[in-house]
Formats: sequence, structure tokens, C-alpha cells
Amino acid sequence: MQFSLFWLTVALHILAFFQVYIIIKQGYESNPAGVLLGPDVDMVRGELYLDKWMNTSKVIVIKGKGVVGTDAGLDPSKILEMLSRGFRLLTGASDAREALGRIFAREDRIGIKINTIGGRRISTRPELSLSLAELLIKNGWPERNMVIWDRTNRELKEAGYSLSDRPNGLKIFATDTSGAGYETEIFAHRNIGSLFSTIQTNFVTASISLAILKDHGLAGITAGMKNYFGAIHNPNKYHDSHCDPFIAELFDSKPIKAKHKLSLLDALIVQYHRGPSFHPQWAEPCGLLIFSLDPVAADAVGWRLVEKLRSRKGLPSLIDEGREPVFLASAEKLGLGRAGSEFIEVLEDEV
Amino acid sequence: MKRRQFCETLAGAGFLLGASAPAGLRRALAFQDTSNLSRIEARYYKKLPDREIECLLCPRLCRLGDKERGYCGVRQNDGGIYYTLVYGKACSANVDPIEKKPFFHFLPGTDAFSIATAGCNVNCKFCQNWQISQVRAEQVPHFNLPPDEVAAAAERNRCPSIAYTYTEPVVFYEYMYDSSIAAHKRGLRNCVVTAGHIQPEPLQDLLKVVDAIKIDLKSFRQEFYHEYVRGDLQPVLDAIKTVSRSKVWLEIVYLVIPTLNDQADDIRSMSRWLVNEIGPDIPLHFTRFHPMYLIKNLPPTPISTLESLRDIALEAGMNYVYLGNVPGHKAENTYCPRCRSLVIERFGMQVKAISMTKGACRNCRNPIPGIWD
Repeated sequence: MQFSLFWLTVALHILAFFQVYIIIKQGYESNPAGVLLGPDVDMVRGELYLDKWMNTSKVIVIKGKGVVGTDAGLDPSKILEMLSRGFRLLTGASDAREALGRIFAREDRIGIKINTIGGRRISTRPELSLSLAELLIKNGWPERNMVIWDRTNRELKEAGYSLSDRPNGLKIFATDTSGAGYETEIFAHRNIGSLFSTIQTNFVTASISLAILKDHGLAGITAGMKNYFGAIHNPNKYHDSHCDPFIAELFDSKPIKAKHKLSLLDALIVQYHRGPSFHPQWAEPCGLLIFSLDPVAADAVGWRLVEKLRSRKGLPSLIDEGREPVFLASAEKLGLGRAGSEFIEVLEDEV
Repeated sequence: MKRRQFCETLAGAGFLLGASAPAGLRRALAFQDTSNLSRIEARYYKKLPDREIECLLCPRLCRLGDKERGYCGVRQNDGGIYYTLVYGKACSANVDPIEKKPFFHFLPGTDAFSIATAGCNVNCKFCQNWQISQVRAEQVPHFNLPPDEVAAAAERNRCPSIAYTYTEPVVFYEYMYDSSIAAHKRGLRNCVVTAGHIQPEPLQDLLKVVDAIKIDLKSFRQEFYHEYVRGDLQPVLDAIKTVSRSKVWLEIVYLVIPTLNDQADDIRSMSRWLVNEIGPDIPLHFTRFHPMYLIKNLPPTPISTLESLRDIALEAGMNYVYLGNVPGHKAENTYCPRCRSLVIERFGMQVKAISMTKGACRNCRNPIPGIWD
């Protein structure tokens, strides 16, 4: 009798386990809007739990209705709304302050690394980076501890940024600013041998890759990971073999990996063909921002978006053109994040 | 705002130069305003649709979109036109013994006015001058020195030749080419120190205006070129053959790196190739490696290794095989291959004695190939 009771108990436990698992899994697959777990906040918390359990990565895609005007101008208030919504969905927090607090420490010196190589029409938009800084400042991060930066002041200015050096204000300047510069000792890691910007090595404690998403003739796409090519002195040396494994290995370098906190891709207007230069006939006003704590997953979703646009416009895929962004697989092998779609959960929302 | 004010403001904020700021910031590299770079249209490139270009100067054949820069870091596509950013922008200018290049059969005992700009089209992990070669044009201090002034400065310093050296002259091709013409007008000669990573057409054109070329053959294996040079072997071998068939004097340097390119079989194959394809009279220099740049984990090359590789090259039939970076070694000297007499005695970069008459061994009258005066 006692023996039967024991096995009955075991069987019930196993059954209960599978029931819970099936419920969670069904809810997870069928309900990205979060019906299973109630309100948004709980839904996100639940997914964070599943992330850990199932080793998936979450990517948030926020569409801003009307954020890109007919003249390609951007609406900063809409961007602010998109950012706020994106951070809340990404972290499961109830408001932006709490959301940002889950990513950044109060004492962090935050570096917002932008990409301004392409000039005004195809760089990380000032409206976006300034809105991001504004959101952080409004929620309690001191502006004196914040820098928006890239390689050269000339490129920053050409992209529409006004340089700023106020001691207690938001800083906007580049590595070639007198007093900044590059380290003088080569940092070597795998196939990387570079001098890092002292902005990244010395000032920044938490880094945001605020990259513009675009097609890239060699790498396939350029997005959050490749954006850090602008943090070293010799990116021109890393464009062989589709920039692979250089993009992944640079990201894997301590000055980047130890400080990177967030990938935020500017997909407001996406150059889906003939990038990284600007060609208006292949630039699509998508009005999207892509958020992820996983740098590989963010770029992988960016790739999917570029492919979707190419397909819609009747262009061959990057794979067909022999330009598959192979750096994503290399990055996954290095354990930097998830590249395969089966391990990436994309949550889309619109504001 | 002026630079000084900017710097002071940052320091005042305790931002960059605060007590906790690591020394890196204080010893950061100097920058020059990018507007100080040259904007001279490059030669050897092809315009493509959509403001793209293809560089035809070196075997990389960089295909670049608008605003992109080549692998060399000193040539840029701007609006569909390709520019050299370093024309007349020297980052180094010195008077060196010609033996430093090294040229041993080209105007021995003279000085060469030696110049360089930033940039290189390969990325050797053992680069000795990486601070100026592996950087972009604006990342190294430079100064205006147009071609006419290069030639004038050489003359003023009583240098019979100008050497294009230190970094990779191929990447400042236009500057080198025009300076060479200016030098010839003043009766000066030109010598080039290169990795030989250049396309046939620009090389053929260059051969019309220079007098000597030293090519660094870094290995006889493609895998080594791929892994440690980030380049290809075959274009270098092609360049060696092309130069050897011209009137331009050629010398070959092989930097011997312990365990990486010091295999006896490779040296034997290379020496046989040189004898068969180029001839036995081209000087071949085996130079000693010192830990540098990205290869700091290997010791300097043992002298015994250099000596054994030299023996292999001599056995293969090479007549003039030298050792470099080994001051005082007898293999720094030139010996007549026929009578074994000492014809040029050297110590380091200094020529101590020359025993030649009209380019021939003073003892047996055997001609010694080279450009002697």
C-alpha cells in the first residue's frame, strides 16, 4: 500500500510538472502580447524568467506611427515615447525610470556610441541620440556623466551634431578631441590588435551602441556590433572576409564586452541596399527602433528587417548576393549572444 | 571654442584628467585636423555606379562606397572620386645611411633622404613601424613637404638619393612618383622600400621613375602571408619578377622570425626559386627579428639560425647573401663570388672599406652587380 502511494505521488508530480511546462510554453508561443501572464509588466517578467529557463534572447521592436515625416524629418516627442515604451518592454519595468535602472547604475558614466561616418542623411540621427540622453537625464542620470561620441568631430558635425563640452552638461565630442585620443598601447585579442578610444576605456563605464542599421557591402549589414569599429584606431584593417571574425572578436575584447549594456538600433530610415553609403532610392522610412540586451540578437533582427525590405523591393537576399552577415554566427560561437531565430523572441509594439 | 579652452574645461570638470583618470588619457596620441589632409585625386582606380569606386593600386582591389576609406587608411572615396589623403604630407623625414634600408649594392656608403607618410596596405603582426604604418592619415602628426621640396631637401642634405621607406610607399604612390620625377630633375636617384604588394600596372609605371627597389619577401608560404601579413604571396613574387626584368636594381629582404618562417625547406625552396627566376646575383638579406607590435612572445632570432639559413641560400646558388641586424658579423660584408676577396667591408650601417674598381672586384676584376656611383 505504502509502495503504491509513493509511486502515485511521483506520477502526480511528473504530471504537474509537464502541465505547468505545457501551459507556460503554449502561452509563450501563442501570446506575445502577454495574455497568459496578465498585464504587460508581469508578461515581461515572465518572459525574462523564460529567457533564463530556455536561454532565449529578447528583442523589442517599436514602431513610431508618423515618427518619420514626409520630408524625412523626425518627431522627437514621438521618439521619446518610443524609447520609453521600448525600455519598459525590454525590462518589464512599469516606467522608464525603473526600466533604465535595471540596465544602468546611478553612478555609471554612460557612453552613447553613435555612427556618423555617412554624413547627415545616414548617421545615427541627432533627434534619437539626444532624446535618449534626455530620457536618461529626466530619469535621474546626471548629464555630466554622459557622452555622445564617435571617431571624429568633423563627422559628428557633418551628421548634424553640435559639439558640447560643458563640464556639468551632456558631452558630445569625438575621439580626436584634444585631451581624448587613443590609448598608446596596443590591445591584442584574438585577431584584433588595436588602440582603443580613451572615451571608451577611461570615461565610459556603461556603453550603449546606438547604431544606425544599414546594408553594408562587405559585412552584409552594419548595426550595433560593427558600430564599435568606431571605437578603435584601425577599423580599415578589419574589412577582409566580410569583416569576419573581426566584428565578433572586437566586441569580445574587454574594453567593449565589459562595458556594453545595450544595443539600440536606429531603424527609423533603413538603407537596405548599396550601403553603407546613402542612396535615397534604397532608403526606406520604417520608423522603427530595435532594443536588446543581447548584441547579437539585436543585429540578427536588424538583418531580418533588411532582408524583409530587400525581398519586398524585389532585390536578392544578402545570402544570394554572397553577403550574409557571417559575423553573427562567429559572435554566437564566442558566446556573445543568440543569432538563430529559434532562440530570439521578438516583441513588436507600436506607439 | 579653442582646443586649449576645451581641454581646460574638461580638466576642470574632473572628467578626463581627474585624479582617477588613468595615464592613457594624458599620453594620448596627438591628432591633426583632418582638413589638413591632402585632397589630390588618386591614380589607378575605377569609377563604378552609385558613387562607388574600385581601387586598382594594390592586389586588395578595395571596393568602396562613398566616404569609405581603403584598407591602407590613407585613400578615400568622396562622392565617387578617389583621393589620396597623404600627398605631400610626410610623417617622417630623415637622413639615413643607405645601408639602413638595407641596400648593399646601391650607392654604398651614401646617405638617403628618407621619407614616409602614414599608412600601409598590409598588416604585419611583426611590424617595426606600426605607430606610423598601421594608423590612418590623421592619426599621426605630419607636415607639408611637397615633391619639389623633398628633392630640394635631399640636395641640401647632400643625399644622392631619396628613399621612400618606413611605412609602405605603395600607399603614397602619387607622392612618391612625383617626388621621384622631381629628384631626377636634380640628378638624384630614388629607391623604394616596399612589401611588393602592388598591381602590375602601377608597378610598371613606377619602374620608369625609380632606380632601386627593395622588396620584403616575408615568407615563401601563402599561409604565413594570410595569417601574419594579411596579404598574399603571389603578387609579391610577381612584383619581384617584374622588377628583376627591368633596369631597376633589386634587393630582397627576408625577416626571419623564430618558428614562424624559419623552416629550412622553405628557405631552400625560396632560394632555388630566386636563382631560377631572378638569377643568383640579386642580394638576399636575412634579417634578425626582434619582438614587436603583435608578436612579443617570441625571442630575437638566434644568430645560428640566420647563419644556417644563409648557408642554405648559398648552397642553392645565391651569390650575395647577407645577415642584417647583427652588427659586426662577417656576413654583413660583400665578398667576390669568384675569388672570395672582401670587396665591401661593413659594420652595422657603416661602410668601412670598398675594394672595387669600376664596379669590379679589385683582386680578380670580376664584375660585382649593383649601382655603385
